[in-house]
Amino acid sequence: MTVAEFGSFAELVLTRSDERGDGDAFLFLADGVKGKEPERLSYLGLDRTARDIASWLQERGLAGRQVLLLFPSGLDFVKAFVGCLYAGAVAVPAPLPSEQGQHFRRVSGIVRDARVGAVLTLAEHAPEVEAWLKAEGFSDVACLATDQGAVGDADAWRDPGLSPKDLAFLQYTSGSTSEPKGVMVTHGNLLANEAAIARSTGNTSESMVGGWLPFYHDMGLMGHVLQPLWLGTTGVLIPPVSFLRRPVRWLELVSEYGVNASAGPNFSFDLCVRRITDAQLEGLDLSSWRTACNGAEPVRAETVKAFTERFGPYGFRPEAMFPCYGMAETTLLVTGIPRNRAALLREVDAAGLERGVVEGPYLGALRRTLVSSGVARAEDFEVRIVDPETLVECAEGKVGEIWVRGASVSSGYWERPEVNAEIFGARIVDQEDLGTWLRTGDMGVLGDGELFVTGRLKEMVLINGRNIYPYDVESAVRALNPAIGTGAVFAVDTGGQEHLVVIHEIRAAAAGADLKTVTAEVQQHVGREFAVPVGNVLFVRPGTVRKTTSGKTQRTLMRKLFLEGAVGALHSVLDPAVAALVEAGAQAAQADGPAPAEVG
Amino acid sequence: MSVPATDPTANTEPTAESLSSWLADRIALYLQRSPSEIQPTVPLAEYGLDSVAALSLCGDIEEDFDLVLEPTVAWDYPTIEALAGHLVEELQSMEGGSR
Repeated sequence: MTVAEFGSFAELVLTRSDERGDGDAFLFLADGVKGKEPERLSYLGLDRTARDIASWLQERGLAGRQVLLLFPSGLDFVKAFVGCLYAGAVAVPAPLPSEQGQHFRRVSGIVRDARVGAVLTLAEHAPEVEAWLKAEGFSDVACLATDQGAVGDADAWRDPGLSPKDLAFLQYTSGSTSEPKGVMVTHGNLLANEAAIARSTGNTSESMVGGWLPFYHDMGLMGHVLQPLWLGTTGVLIPPVSFLRRPVRWLELVSEYGVNASAGPNFSFDLCVRRITDAQLEGLDLSSWRTACNGAEPVRAETVKAFTERFGPYGFRPEAMFPCYGMAETTLLVTGIPRNRAALLREVDAAGLERGVVEGPYLGALRRTLVSSGVARAEDFEVRIVDPETLVECAEGKVGEIWVRGASVSSGYWERPEVNAEIFGARIVDQEDLGTWLRTGDMGVLGDGELFVTGRLKEMVLINGRNIYPYDVESAVRALNPAIGTGAVFAVDTGGQEHLVVIHEIRAAAAGADLKTVTAEVQQHVGREFAVPVGNVLFVRPGTVRKTTSGKTQRTLMRKLFLEGAVGALHSVLDPAVAALVEAGAQAAQADGPAPAEVG
Repeated sequence: MSVPATDPTANTEPTAESLSSWLADRIALYLQRSPSEIQPTVPLAEYGLDSVAALSLCGDIEEDFDLVLEPTVAWDYPTIEALAGHLVEELQSMEGGSR
């Protein structure tokens, strides 16, 4: 099975439906796993519905246009997605706003940016979608409910004759709340990355694939929906909410259906360790799980160890844990650990890592544990570590920005030529003739061909020539006092000098000391452990530190709010130069218009 | 984790007190705190309750009491005291309905 066999993912699905016919393409369990009968979608059923939806889109001239998919978790999403591919339209998956209690306004940014021509949804959501489109003035955007029987004429469908260069979908990444950016994924990218995923995970047409991830997220879409189709196997799916309510359902799914490959971000493995009881585990058999992809957020050594220990007695093998690295900009997967080997944890000298060098660990010195994200396969990707300032390739063992190239790498964000030239068209100094690379914005280091991700470039703080990773400082501060909660650590520049700013939530009444004393402890501890001056500490009320809906701390947003004087503190100490900067920022923000709502 | 004050499988009616204790145990687990830190009248948001923890709570209520609730319940009844009171009412009306 090679990529060259297919000109497009649409062609691949057509071929699979010929091969598999009445065989199950997907099983979906909306509410629980054990003792429940799944909803089934055969390859032929998928093909038939996709032709019907595609004919409706073609009839309305939407081939080549962007089509927004607003669906709750379920098989109707899959039908609509494949329908778009069959029509030669560009699918734009997004979360159904009412499902997460978010306002439709958030999706409006995507409709505008992608210049969406139609919205596909379910009949039960069509009235609210139509009302929203009308209210936002999207009068030329059609809305279709795809779950009410035939919507078009399947026999009138015409094969759009797509090539690998044609766009398949736009992936709007989850962090882009304020300024949505859609990664352009072509049919060629899609086919290349599905092949890369199969090679890296060892998945075959015999593999059972599935899990609980949302379909509008790159990991869920590429890993759990399109991978089974690419393989010609069966995908078995449950909604995210079902998993979050009862995490054991993920493991029940693996056990009941003999799932071989299932993915989740680090937090979901953590959730299993913390919430699943012995009673719930009774009778579960996880021995079918060959590849437990752990990616999409930093892979934590503690989680890898705890999950493997907790579920080992139920058949989970250490070598099943599959730390991996990837992003929407590379369609999905870049690296994963070699199969039949357990996760590789590496202790390194903490001070060395701050200087951007992987060395040690040394006796008696502080250490950090890095988790290997594995290797890139030569036929799929090239990975280099490059100094983000000089753009010169780093020597092995030196931390730098992760640069990537290969057939899965997107050509860029939708209609963002300037950003694309910088991010997707980067060249390595003295190796310009190699061509262009994607700058991932992630920092990492290569050792024996294995990639260790150490943090994010933009959030990284450079003080006194040291690389300070905010997450590390935040963890250290939290460990000081149980009353200290979520934090956001970043740097501000007062003209030539970088200052560390530490903002943490605190339950003041539970701190056991006055905030002045706790502040002094933080300054002393961070100052000693990280060897940087901590002139700026703000303790704020719980709920002040902003997070994305997926729980990531929004350090960049907190930095902006701080510089606008919009972070109200219970107690703070500020370096005089920083205080002056904040004062000036607050005045500028006020002059610019209505002050942003104060947080805290 | 401390032992729950009420064994939900036992054939006794949960009271507001026993439910408060059960809730404090569960919420302490989600938020990785000690149950004694969770005060019954302090809004749960102040302890860092987020949407994932709210869903977790609904899952555990469903598991132990066979009562299906929407995750918004944790925001509508924002303290242990309020939640326990609501649960008692819901459980009583469920009992009444099944008779």
